[in-house]
Amino acid sequence: MLEPKIVLFLAAFLFSAGVYGVLSRRHLIMLLMSLELMLNAVNIVLVTFSRVWAGRWSGAEGTGLIGAHSGQFFTLMVMAVAAAEVGIGLAIIVAIYRRKHTADSDASADLKG
Amino acid sequence: MDFLFFISALVAVAGTFLLITHRHPIYALLGLLVALTASAGVFLALDAPFIAVAQILIYAGALAVMFLFVLMFTDTRTDEDTGLPKAVTARAVFDVALTRPARIKKKKEGEPSKYNPLRFLAPVNPMALVISLCLLVCATFAIGQLPDSFGAFGTLPTAYDGTLMNPATVTAQEAAANPNYLEYGTTEAVSRTIFEGFPLAFEVVSLLIFAALLGAVLLARRHLAGTGMPGTQDVGKESEHA
Repeated sequence: MLEPKIVLFLAAFLFSAGVYGVLSRRHLIMLLMSLELMLNAVNIVLVTFSRVWAGRWSGAEGTGLIGAHSGQFFTLMVMAVAAAEVGIGLAIIVAIYRRKHTADSDASADLKG
Repeated sequence: MDFLFFISALVAVAGTFLLITHRHPIYALLGLLVALTASAGVFLALDAPFIAVAQILIYAGALAVMFLFVLMFTDTRTDEDTGLPKAVTARAVFDVALTRPARIKKKKEGEPSKYNPLRFLAPVNPMALVISLCLLVCATFAIGQLPDSFGAFGTLPTAYDGTLMNPATVTAQEAAANPNYLEYGTTEAVSRTIFEGFPLAFEVVSLLIFAALLGAVLLARRHLAGTGMPGTQDVGKESEHA
């Protein structure tokens, strides 16, 4: 029997793995990829909560069409923002690579005292 | 549904391991692609078919191609490839500049490491591992603290037509006969949620994506000189190119 908590644990695992990727890698593109994984974990949580809320049928205010699908709408917003973020991030990486000839995050330390 | 979820979850975890353990970004990208596609299966198991399709279109389609293009543009070698701490690498570069023969000798000595079966794995960062495991433990604890109502997915209402139909009293056939029949998670239901519930947010996001498009083009342009953009300098002949 599938429980919401199992799905939430999967999302927590994916998020933790994304955090590990962000903290342990130095390649800028690897950083962005791990970030995508974290955003995806958040999407799973949103869709799970949306489904749980839709399953609590009561007929009261807030459980109608919009209330039941809000989580899915938020997921779509997160996807759009993630797409914009990756587009800008990859453009910045290309610009950094052109200037420094490396995609190592430690190479961008010009402001370091 | 349960079967679909557990298969998808297994594949997603496998893809995640591929992403965080592999040294080469191309293989890591493959892992990310597997994890994101499997997440679409999870969405499908959670009665969200529209989100599942959007996930495959946006993440597995557009984003993966963008990552792949940038990986081809840039040098994928980093210090991680050598498996050495950064200081050691810097010293090795210094050695190369002074004494070239030493480098050749070093390379020959390093030959056997090619046959190391774990050579494609990135070195484990213990601090990052501890932090992410702590996060996982905290999140698991928080999930355990959830109220009992999170113990099971309830039965979905039969249809959405502005007022809900009780799944206990209205059968699926009766609901389908309703002219405003809407099933949970379908394209129609989600689109009505967008345009009846959150139209402003939808428009703002389209503006955001347009701005991101322009910004990405501007940032990744080769010749900024001569365009009169702030922060750029004319570089003589190159300005005619721009």
